[in-house]
Amino acid sequence: MNIIGKSVIRKEAPDKVTGKARYTDDFSSAGIYHARLVTSPFAHALIKSIDTREAEKVSGVRAILTGEGLPLTGEEITDRPPLAQGKVRHHGEAVCLVVAEKLDKAALAASLIKVDYEPLSAVNSPSQAYQAGAPLVHEHVEHYKRGQNVYPEPGTNIAHKTKIRKGDLSRGIGESAVFVEGRYSFGPSDHAAIETRSCTAEIRADGDVLITSSSQAPFMIKKLIGSYFDIEAGKIIVKTPLVGGAYGGKASVQWEFLAFIASRAVGGKRVKLRYMREEDILTAPCHIGLDATIRLGCTSEGILKSAEILYLFDGGAYADKSPDLCRAGAVDCTGPYHIEHIWCDSYCLYTNHPYPAPFRGFAHSEVLFAFERTMDLLAKKLGMDPLELRFKNAILPGHTTPTQVLVNKSNVGDVRGCIQRLKDIMEEEWEPNAGHDPRKVRAAGIACVWKNSTIDTNASSGVILTFNPDGSVNLMSGVVEIGTGTKTILAQMLAEKLRLPVEMIHVKMTVDTQTTPEHWKTVASRGTLMGGRAVMAAAEDAIRQIKEIASCALRVREEDLDIDSGRVFVKAEPEIGLSFKEVVYGYTYPNGNAIGGQIIGRGSYILRNMTNIDKETGAGRPGPEWAVGAQAVQVEFDTRDCTYRILKAISVVDIGRVLNERAARGQVMGAMSMGLSFAGRETFYFDEMGRVLNFQLRTYRPIRYGEQPKYVVEFVNTPHVEAPFGARGAGEHGLLGMPAALANALSIAAGVEMIHLPLIPELIWRTLQEGKR
Amino acid sequence: MIPVDFDYYKPESIEEAARLHEQLDRQKMLPLYYSGGTEIITLLRLDLIQTKAVIDIKAIHECREHILGEDYLVLGSSLTLTQIEERNAFPLLTSVSKEIADHTARNKITLGGNICGEIFYREAVLPLLLTDSLFVIGGPQGVKILPAHEAFQQTMQLGRGEFLIQTLTRKDFLGMPYMSVKIRQQWETGYPLVTIAALKAKGEIRAAFSGLCSFPFRSKRMEDELNRKDGTLDVRMDRALRHIPAPVLNDIEGSAEYRLFVLKNTLTDILTVWEVEQNA
Repeated sequence: MNIIGKSVIRKEAPDKVTGKARYTDDFSSAGIYHARLVTSPFAHALIKSIDTREAEKVSGVRAILTGEGLPLTGEEITDRPPLAQGKVRHHGEAVCLVVAEKLDKAALAASLIKVDYEPLSAVNSPSQAYQAGAPLVHEHVEHYKRGQNVYPEPGTNIAHKTKIRKGDLSRGIGESAVFVEGRYSFGPSDHAAIETRSCTAEIRADGDVLITSSSQAPFMIKKLIGSYFDIEAGKIIVKTPLVGGAYGGKASVQWEFLAFIASRAVGGKRVKLRYMREEDILTAPCHIGLDATIRLGCTSEGILKSAEILYLFDGGAYADKSPDLCRAGAVDCTGPYHIEHIWCDSYCLYTNHPYPAPFRGFAHSEVLFAFERTMDLLAKKLGMDPLELRFKNAILPGHTTPTQVLVNKSNVGDVRGCIQRLKDIMEEEWEPNAGHDPRKVRAAGIACVWKNSTIDTNASSGVILTFNPDGSVNLMSGVVEIGTGTKTILAQMLAEKLRLPVEMIHVKMTVDTQTTPEHWKTVASRGTLMGGRAVMAAAEDAIRQIKEIASCALRVREEDLDIDSGRVFVKAEPEIGLSFKEVVYGYTYPNGNAIGGQIIGRGSYILRNMTNIDKETGAGRPGPEWAVGAQAVQVEFDTRDCTYRILKAISVVDIGRVLNERAARGQVMGAMSMGLSFAGRETFYFDEMGRVLNFQLRTYRPIRYGEQPKYVVEFVNTPHVEAPFGARGAGEHGLLGMPAALANALSIAAGVEMIHLPLIPELIWRTLQEGKR
Repeated sequence: MIPVDFDYYKPESIEEAARLHEQLDRQKMLPLYYSGGTEIITLLRLDLIQTKAVIDIKAIHECREHILGEDYLVLGSSLTLTQIEERNAFPLLTSVSKEIADHTARNKITLGGNICGEIFYREAVLPLLLTDSLFVIGGPQGVKILPAHEAFQQTMQLGRGEFLIQTLTRKDFLGMPYMSVKIRQQWETGYPLVTIAALKAKGEIRAAFSGLCSFPFRSKRMEDELNRKDGTLDVRMDRALRHIPAPVLNDIEGSAEYRLFVLKNTLTDILTVWEVEQNA
């Protein structure tokens, strides 16, 4: 078999390209009720009163809910009421929920609810939140329940702090001869998936809770609803159909709580809640912002010796996943380099901004923007080529990471190999300025990236295989198909292992927590490792059973049997054998006797030897492996107008074995596009009251087709030994270096250090103006 | 999802439309004339306008006319921007129109809707201002024809119950040298920091602007300064900029200072090209 590496077309492709694919909102049923939100127009305000009298008069309104009496929610710190209680803490926060027989009536009633607010001054940045005497977003953070590895500081806006102490900073500074320091910042932004968040909920007469949601985390929905609302886990059944873009934004659980309480308020009737685009931007969790300060020291030869880092993450109004993001940013607080002495304080701060969900790359493109900009400052000061500086300092087997994990050939990819390949491609692809326009300058910026996945230490994944009478296989995995094609990759792995054509593998696309084995969450580029290992285990289990039955029927030893092309046969005499269809439902002898019964393959995988990181030093093994890469962006900059075009974006990523060539390129390219969009254009604009001014797609504008540069994607193949076929995570890495590489390119082209995002021409112009003053 | 109910009318004549409007207005139905509908849908959805009745003017023959006649180009107000672009009888209008919204939206957005709408860029009016076009307006008092600069002053000057039927542009303007440039905050999508449409009519430069102030405009005084024979390009431009008729916008798309920077650069480019051509 030779299915691994082939560009197998996605199993769900025919449905998607013909428009037949169905997403959460596409499912409807007669008599379904609809819910609509009333959200806060203020970022920080007391709720003085809520008047629902006019709304109640609207025909068909069945329930109007406010926050009173609802349990607090939140994954890391339970600080968030599903509907505001007495106070709103961010623009767009859900305040009331109307349930009506018809959607238009729900919307009409929602518009008639009068909420009287008393605005409060807003905490408008993590730096402001960090200052002593800043208004408190949460007065009594100590009263909240929290996870065991979260450390909020009462009386401040600090929701969590992660410390990295590797080596001895003062020694590192002593060994350094050249220093640079940079300060960077960017605000929160959005995921902007095409499918807005959507959910239906129903409570059956027997108490079973049925949830269908556009989510990356159906099993987490089940757990959280169970624990917050005190329902037995087995009575909660969560389904996820195809998900129309997620990017981490659907790994948080929020809209499901609202749909659930809506259904509960109307006697368990089925209720649908679909976020409007404005709600998807403001109410649903967003993409995290960051203020960063980095001081690097190196020898006069450019060998990095010390890194002193302060990250202030914009945790927004509620903690949810942001302590985790803050931790992930600290775990990989530097680029992929060998630095003996690292000191990093990474804070997660409450502000009056919309609160963050994970975002593709999970805090890595964010900290790498700051770190890789600083690497360029250092290269400039040393008078050294930025690629050379990175090559010299690249992390290698034998070195340790910031959390003191010993690097070997498998757990970290080949940074130097990526840099070398990038250098070659940049030379091949470099287009010098044609010279006819003296106003235009061309420049390239680079960045090196790495990422591990700091997921729960006991995260696991399971797979079940069943067979059809024709010998084909059904594959059931809890990985959600969020558009990454992972389910197809799993099918390829199974086909390879069972030596069956991939057409004989039938994939269950949707997830149903009652019948699909659990996959922790479809996040962190871990579908191929965890889901893949579970597939391999399930395949082995099935093969063992096939051989067991066949050995009996053929009167040979199991170890003398092999399988290929849907047959099990004697190795030495391949013509003696049985087809799968004669075995997978048990073997029946000519006289009618039967043995074996139907074959069900099962497999599961749990990450090994993960540890929580130490509270004081950060030491620990927070994830299984680092995929690495080197990236470049070439721009053409107009020195008069400060406008620019991105000509080329290049990624060399070490993703180990490539499982599906085109799918992998698509993932990397898509991630690059998202990174350039984030770097070049996407941000929330806030007024001084902390309100978001651009919460529609007419003013919040992700990159459009036609604006993209030429993408060049190449792979380096250092296997991750523990992963099926040696593959590494590939869903995020294309994004990670784009903001830094673009900022590095523009800093060179404009001759001024760019330290904020997004990199719009006005920012470059303003930075140049300030430089002149 | 539009939460409020409203009535929908589709009259087939100007008189019927005007009569309906009067009648609905008397019944306090807050009637709105409706053409492409993109903006009405957007604003109703967000509860930013109120209406209980819309009067669709797309069935009125005159509003759909698209005629290159003996003397005039007639453009019905219900023609979509795509239709106008495809026919391309008025290249300057095509050039400006092509940068409005996106193609899918322009399949719905109409000439009249863009000019009469609430969203204040209204870029389609710029070429009509530059070509001294005539605006044909219908209403309870019948049909009247007004020059563009009277009919459109910051916004369409429509009396109660009046609506734009069509515009008439003299044919000799259609072939004149023109340029139009739209500069955005970043790359190729979004509202303008500034859109400049310029026309060279008998050696004189005409220029109209959108995105600079909270309304689109053509300024005779700015044009006069630009057309003065004394002073360098820079000096003439500085003099022209003194006559910007209202405060320059300062919003999330861009600051006022930056908009002026962009305006000056863009105007310089346009004028330089034409003056180099003239001197060649």
